[in-house]
Amino acid sequence: MNKLKLNYTSLSFLPILVCIPLGYQFITNIHFGGLKLFQEFLISAFNPKIDNEIIITVINRLNETILIGFFSWLVSIIFGTIFGILSSNIFYKIFNIPNFFYYIIRFFLTIIRSIHEVLWGILLMQIYGINFSIGIIAICIPYIAINSKVFAEQLETIDYKSIESINQINAPKFSSLLTLIWNPIINTFKNFGLYRLECSIRSTVILGIFGIGGIGTSIYLSLQTLNFREFWTYLWSLAILIILSGLIFKKIKFNNTNKILSIFFTAVFLITILFSFSYCLYFLFNKNFENFNSVSSLFKSSSDLGLFDFLKLILETIILSLLSTGIAISVPPLLIGIFNDNTSKIFIKIFAFLLRLIPTPVILLTLLTFNNPSLSIAALTLGLHNAGITSKLLFTNLDSQDKRNYIAMRSLGISKKTSWLLGLFSQQAKSYLSYCAYRSDIIIRETAIVGVIGSVGLGWQLQESLSSFAWQEVTIVLIAYSSIAIVGELINGKIKNSLT
Amino acid sequence: MNNTLLELRNISYKYKNNLILNDINLKINPGEKIALLGKSGSGKTTLISVLNGTIKPTHGEVKLFNKSFDELNRNQKRRITTIWQDLRLIEDLSAEQNVNCGLLAENNFYFAFKNLLNTSSFKKAHKYMQLCRLHNSIYDKKISKLSGGQKQRVAIARSLIQESNILLADEPFNNLDPKLITTIKNLLLENVDKNNQKKSSKTTLVALHRLDLLNDFDKVIGIKDGRISFNIKRTNLKKLHLDKIY
Repeated sequence: MNKLKLNYTSLSFLPILVCIPLGYQFITNIHFGGLKLFQEFLISAFNPKIDNEIIITVINRLNETILIGFFSWLVSIIFGTIFGILSSNIFYKIFNIPNFFYYIIRFFLTIIRSIHEVLWGILLMQIYGINFSIGIIAICIPYIAINSKVFAEQLETIDYKSIESINQINAPKFSSLLTLIWNPIINTFKNFGLYRLECSIRSTVILGIFGIGGIGTSIYLSLQTLNFREFWTYLWSLAILIILSGLIFKKIKFNNTNKILSIFFTAVFLITILFSFSYCLYFLFNKNFENFNSVSSLFKSSSDLGLFDFLKLILETIILSLLSTGIAISVPPLLIGIFNDNTSKIFIKIFAFLLRLIPTPVILLTLLTFNNPSLSIAALTLGLHNAGITSKLLFTNLDSQDKRNYIAMRSLGISKKTSWLLGLFSQQAKSYLSYCAYRSDIIIRETAIVGVIGSVGLGWQLQESLSSFAWQEVTIVLIAYSSIAIVGELINGKIKNSLT
Repeated sequence: MNNTLLELRNISYKYKNNLILNDINLKINPGEKIALLGKSGSGKTTLISVLNGTIKPTHGEVKLFNKSFDELNRNQKRRITTIWQDLRLIEDLSAEQNVNCGLLAENNFYFAFKNLLNTSSFKKAHKYMQLCRLHNSIYDKKISKLSGGQKQRVAIARSLIQESNILLADEPFNNLDPKLITTIKNLLLENVDKNNQKKSSKTTLVALHRLDLLNDFDKVIGIKDGRISFNIKRTNLKKLHLDKIY
């Protein structure tokens, strides 16, 4: 008997097997009580509410969302750059600083990054109460760490010999550092900066669902009151915002040698740093801790969480991550492969856009109208949302790919599906899997969101512990989250390295 | 009074249990033009890296101006420049920005910033680029867009602009056509200054393979398996010397 040989193409489809247990649990958990609601929900998509009052509300809410998103992006991209430099080996090589500090900063940033902005948001809201600036801070904390990782990775691609060469010129250390990092930083900002602004806006919407304000709060309130027509007005306006911003971002071209622009960016850079520091000091010294008397209570308050229950929650979180990743990897190539005519592709693209657009808590709440809360429904939500993102990347790569192999195979009379699989997708499979490995890092972090709403895993426990001010439990859950995310990141790092 | 500019005393360098340099003793006097000969892998590049302080020897002492490298201040270190075999240019920067990097040592942080924004003066850089026969159409081109020979000359211009007392060059004639080799050799050995005037105080050590280029050098050093095989005046160089190292 021939041995089963796995290659990148088959590995991209194999995770679809997760749909067997998921589908089974999904079907057994269906209840028909909410099907009518779901039907109404879908119909409302084509009949959103439009009147003066709601248009004014939409504009105000979008303004709030854009402001929170923009400021959190600005602060996180600037501090992300600074921490990116501090967590890249080039800084330590130029200044001859012991590597010990490099590892300390990296470890610290990894921990910060491992906790999702929603968790930071919930935590900060519990401590400080609901506040406009809480949204900015909650997004900034993990985003600074995420951005710093991207910048540091780019800076570490600088050839060691260039560092040696510029060191040998014996220029002042700061001049050497600036000369070496300038273009990698600018290029990273060009390729990645505006995408992060879009991420910031998405995170603001999700935090809005948890009460921070902006369009997210309106979406959540309209869904809670079953006001689906209003819900779709908010959602479509958000879609217009994201499409418009995408179009604007495409038009923006940075010229890093333009003197006036450079002076402007330098001024923004310095003012943001100054303002952020001042605000941090004000925030720390002038804000009353509403529900949090002392940091020591983190360790003093008792915990009723049993070890077995806790391990079960950790296991649930890991399973949730694996199942969601399986869906995110396998569903896009499978759908595109099966329905690869032009009309179907348009429908898949629209569906993927909607999955990306609708915040995961909303997808989950919608599915909960006709299904009981379970691990499978949470995994399906998270998996589908991320499939929307992976499919965008897959479409972009497939569209820009050289199609000669595909054409050659078609000319030999090979079927359209087989030609697509072997002539097109097989060449993308490796880079696609590599991106999915990166995406699974994010999925692990996002289990917190669906966990809080879908009563699954550690997210749910965190919500419970925060509601009862059980700070020791909160600490334990955060440590567990962080550990899972760090281990996941290490494993995914190995996978990514083996794929590149 | 000790007139030696650069001195190596009992230098050995080990890398992953391989002895790359073995008990090297060498004195270089001001103004000397030295050719360094040896097969590929004989230790020429490592010797240059030891001389410019990029790598620290496993054993022995390097003295520049009668001081060890650690005792030198930045101004003293600046008096030595290197043209690397692998060029070590900054790929993201333009040719003129790379040449201007040679001036970073004598300028402040603001100069570095202006260089990156293309708002600093490139007058001096252009002068040296012209000397290296680089056409002005490539001045603002990124290094990645240049040919091998153009990159080679940008690296040479970056070293020359430093106007250092000591020039170390590791196979600087790679990728150059015969006419350019003569031009560049004259530049390296005669130290043509801004006004095209010949200076004689410059000390130059050039690692090279082509024996037909030896005629303007004062001394020739032969290196084999990390050891100095001979260190003689060029006029005394015989075939038997070359047989020892090749």
